[in-house]
Amino acid sequence: MNPEEKIRISFRLNGREVEAHVLPGETALHLLRERLGLRGVKEGCGIGECGACTIVVDKKAVNSCLMLAAQLHGCEVLTVEGLESPVGLHPLQEAFLEHDAIQCGYCTPGMLLSAYALIVSRGVPTREEIVRALAGNLCRCTGYHQIVDAVQDAARRMAGKEEGRW
Amino acid sequence: MEGPLILKLLRSPRPHARILSINTERAMKNDGVEAIFTAKDIPGRNLIGLITKDQPLLAHDKVRFVGEPVALVAARDEESAIRGVEEVEVVYEDLPAIFTPDEALDPGAVPIHEKGNLLHRRVVVKGDVEDALSRAHLVVERTYSTPFLEHACLEPDAGWGYVDKDGTLVIVASTQNPHYDQREVAELLGVEKERVRVIQAATGGGFGSKLDLTVQGFIGLALYHLRRPVKLTLSREEVFLATPKRHAMKIWMRTAARRDGRLLALEAKIICDTGAYSSYGVAVATRAAVHATGPYEIENVRVESLAVYTNNPIAGAMRGFGVPQVAFAHESQMDILAEGLGIDPLEIRRINAMRPESVTATGQVLGESVGLLEALDAVEPHYREAMEEWKKGPRRPYTARGVGLGAMWYGIGNTGVRNPSTVKVQLDERGRVVLYIGAADMGQGSTTVLVQMASETLGISPEEMEVVIADTGLTPDAGASSASRQTYISGNALVRACRKLSETLLEEASRLTGLPRGELVLRGGNVVSKEKPERLVSLAELAALAKERGVSLEFEGHFDPETTPLDPSTGQGIPYATYSFACQMAQVEVDLLTGQVEVRRIVAAHDVGKAINPKGVVGQIRGGVAMGVGFALMEEFLPGSTRSFKDYHIPTAADMPEVIPIIVESSEPTGPFGAKGVGEPALIPTAPAILNAIADALGERIYALPATLERVCEASIRAGWPKMGKGGGPR
Amino acid sequence: MVKGYSRPRSLDEALEMLARLTPRALPIAGGTDLLVDLREGRLGECHLVDISRLEELKVLEKRSGKIRVGAGLTFSEVERSGLLRECAPVLVKASSQVGSLQIRNVGTIGGNVAHCSPAADTIPALLVHRAKVVLRSSNGSREVALEALLGGPYKALLAPGELITEFVLEDASHMWGEFSKIGRRRELAIARLSLAALARKEDGRIGELYLALGAGTPVPRRMESAERALLGKRPQEGDLWEAGWLMAQEMVSVSGPRPSTHYKEKAACGLLVRTLLPLLEDGS
Repeated sequence: MNPEEKIRISFRLNGREVEAHVLPGETALHLLRERLGLRGVKEGCGIGECGACTIVVDKKAVNSCLMLAAQLHGCEVLTVEGLESPVGLHPLQEAFLEHDAIQCGYCTPGMLLSAYALIVSRGVPTREEIVRALAGNLCRCTGYHQIVDAVQDAARRMAGKEEGRW
Repeated sequence: MEGPLILKLLRSPRPHARILSINTERAMKNDGVEAIFTAKDIPGRNLIGLITKDQPLLAHDKVRFVGEPVALVAARDEESAIRGVEEVEVVYEDLPAIFTPDEALDPGAVPIHEKGNLLHRRVVVKGDVEDALSRAHLVVERTYSTPFLEHACLEPDAGWGYVDKDGTLVIVASTQNPHYDQREVAELLGVEKERVRVIQAATGGGFGSKLDLTVQGFIGLALYHLRRPVKLTLSREEVFLATPKRHAMKIWMRTAARRDGRLLALEAKIICDTGAYSSYGVAVATRAAVHATGPYEIENVRVESLAVYTNNPIAGAMRGFGVPQVAFAHESQMDILAEGLGIDPLEIRRINAMRPESVTATGQVLGESVGLLEALDAVEPHYREAMEEWKKGPRRPYTARGVGLGAMWYGIGNTGVRNPSTVKVQLDERGRVVLYIGAADMGQGSTTVLVQMASETLGISPEEMEVVIADTGLTPDAGASSASRQTYISGNALVRACRKLSETLLEEASRLTGLPRGELVLRGGNVVSKEKPERLVSLAELAALAKERGVSLEFEGHFDPETTPLDPSTGQGIPYATYSFACQMAQVEVDLLTGQVEVRRIVAAHDVGKAINPKGVVGQIRGGVAMGVGFALMEEFLPGSTRSFKDYHIPTAADMPEVIPIIVESSEPTGPFGAKGVGEPALIPTAPAILNAIADALGERIYALPATLERVCEASIRAGWPKMGKGGGPR
Repeated sequence: MVKGYSRPRSLDEALEMLARLTPRALPIAGGTDLLVDLREGRLGECHLVDISRLEELKVLEKRSGKIRVGAGLTFSEVERSGLLRECAPVLVKASSQVGSLQIRNVGTIGGNVAHCSPAADTIPALLVHRAKVVLRSSNGSREVALEALLGGPYKALLAPGELITEFVLEDASHMWGEFSKIGRRRELAIARLSLAALARKEDGRIGELYLALGAGTPVPRRMESAERALLGKRPQEGDLWEAGWLMAQEMVSVSGPRPSTHYKEKAACGLLVRTLLPLLEDGS
């Protein structure tokens, strides 16, 4: 690979500065998962129809399969690996466990991140708002109900607490 | 260290063609391409199949569906692999292609397989249907159709492999049945089973799509020849194109009833499009026939079910194995009969519901665990309220509300064949209990449930146990995670294993303490006396003792349900040791102007025998209902045009109704702690209930799934709501 | 196959790159259509020019009675804008129904229009807002009615190197607006049919009415026969039915009979009735 054809980018990933050289047509999904080893970002479909590749970029939930890696330059990026802290699991992760919101687990990272972005912007969302925000994250196992319960519960716990990284 | 080689498949672009030549020379010239394999490189037997072995791993003389694998490319990176695939030159000679079972069954049709286009014919015959028809007060005859469906697991099929230091070919793959994978790959490669080890990777959903070999055979083949790590992941487009689907079915049904609602006879002809290769076609056609009566006692039955080859994609196992399709038919029939006889839809089901000691269409006398009446009772208050209050409630203009029921039964385990499970439990030298469970957990929770059973039997908390799961190198064969069988079959096997261990431990403790065996129990990791529950001796101590004496505390438990094969000409026999039952109710609101259907609520009452993990059961019910909503309203796989999630819709969170799950426990004496199964039952009544509700709303019925915008709009116009066109308006 | 990627720091630089760069230079904003094209092999060799962060494309203001809406605004940004909720309600409603939240967070209205799908959600909305489109290239700029840009399915009539920079809408303050979409499921669905409606009543009569149908014709379009049938009327339910049927017939005459006509003519009629029911005298 001719190094001149690659683009140098730097961005903040899960709280740390990161530098990478990316191909022009490389997706953010490919960079994060295949080259930076963040397996929580998953290619469920590659065309933005399933949400399994969801990451949070500048506080917004986006499909990393539809974003160029080059477009991450200068952004603040969060993947599921960034939710956990030295203190332990994130309240969202805890709530998902408590509410039995996980069956096969494949959609879970995307769900957690969509939920995270929603809570960061809306505080304590209504059930309807949660459903709308998660409509882009498909799940074939759970029927969604317990996931929505978990997000609602986590939002209440997170309300009023310091934002931490954000 | 180098990464694994990337594997990619060259797939046939033709639905039915002879392969005249395959030339890999140009493709091999690519710098990154390491090897290209075709059928001739398969050292063992190039024929796979879960029931009937009719499918080559790599096509050799002809291809039978678009997407059939023809060559396997191994390359250093993704781009080289893609280029390698693109540059393999295959010359095909087209053969006439067949896309419907009717065409396939035509005497003049070109044979897709040497033995012809009929894969399997299953007949279930009992009593005297002609006589019953003559005595009937009402006979209802209709034809129903259901399309191919896609499992749409969130995880596309994937796996990788490497060669162990002792030469074992190790395959790590998303799978529902690692032991089958191991056997099949070993035969493909012509090696002993022990030379292949299959470990289930974390599997992102299965629903039946990960029972056939998906990536395992290709990984094994590459490992055999190249002896270095390899990896194969299918793209979502490949999953849509080339992995097995739910059988498309055409079901003709004729049901006869007495004036009081009692069913006298059922006649059905079921045609299953099994696609290019058999996969689970035999089992699906058989299950459909066996379950065609629905959960109702009918004395006179004549059912013929055909699995037919076509050049469509392979149809195989998908949650429900043919029963979701026939349930749509039999539950629609029940409502049509109810209306024709002026009987309440819930009552007509109650009148005919199977009970303990009812006789099935295959002549089986049911045991005591038949919870259908309880399920109907549980749904009834919701049903009455919905009919009497909700249906008449205020709503948007130009909408109609309807309420519908769906009832089902589902035999647990594989139909009329041996399908045993073996589970191993060990108290190791540290005093830890280790469970060796071969059952693949793909999110349905088999591991959790089995650990709970072990915990209950051994008196140890789940946190204190270790589990080794789904690894052919370490765990005995538990059979496939399919047919809702693991709780019942592996559960029994596990309980047997644990009892052997606990018996041994208690005997030993009795010897040590001098106390009678009958006085001793296991609790909290210790042996204690029932009288004075103080610790007598710990499991750790017993383990140490055993080690000293060179005794291994390792026990296997084995269970195979008691079934008998079905008679080939009458279908009589005992296909399953137990059945789960359920009733669901759907409330829908139909937009008469646009054909949109909103499912407002589903009440789902499921008899699971015993809910080992109630939250898990509820999770299965909710997930099953979601799949049922998709089946009812939006899912349709059209070969040749459905390519991705842009064309194939599954429900999002916004499409979900309110779901009220109700667990009914009609304890199964032969089940572990009384448990049966729920994974597939969860889905089966939903679409029937929704379609019955739509018919209730419109006064017109839809006979083909899914109830799309177009079909609902059409039905509402047939019903006269509202009149479209010039001078149009409300009726 | 993407051969190169650049991120210009200004609109002028972007236009210069689009004019100069070979092979084919393509603008990328949200990328939600482009990256699907890339995956499905429809892009050919190209150089991507990233315009997603250009502030010049994010104009959002009311000026001289018109509403300027930057083409680079994302669907989410449109949805959240207080100004647009007041002055361009149909655009807000349409934007809120595109795809999923992940798509809305990066996809842009300019991209939606340039992609020119027959089922594009924002196009009918922009049509009822009588949008003019401002386009710029390194050669200059032009302003055209949106209709003039819609050449055909997936064929927006942009000249090589040309970018949509903004839309200029009529102020719809104090008007009633709605956007209704029929999809195969409630969210993340492509429109089977969609209807944008903008109206103003005076003394109970319909003083102004703009209707645009999406996914019914090769490109979304204003449905003037239905508009004329209702203008000036104190509408009754029967009037809606008549207008609906006129709209359905206009749709069929434009698109020609197709396999979907049987459903769509009835659903188009029904969709108009459903959408305009709030306009009835009795408040329905």
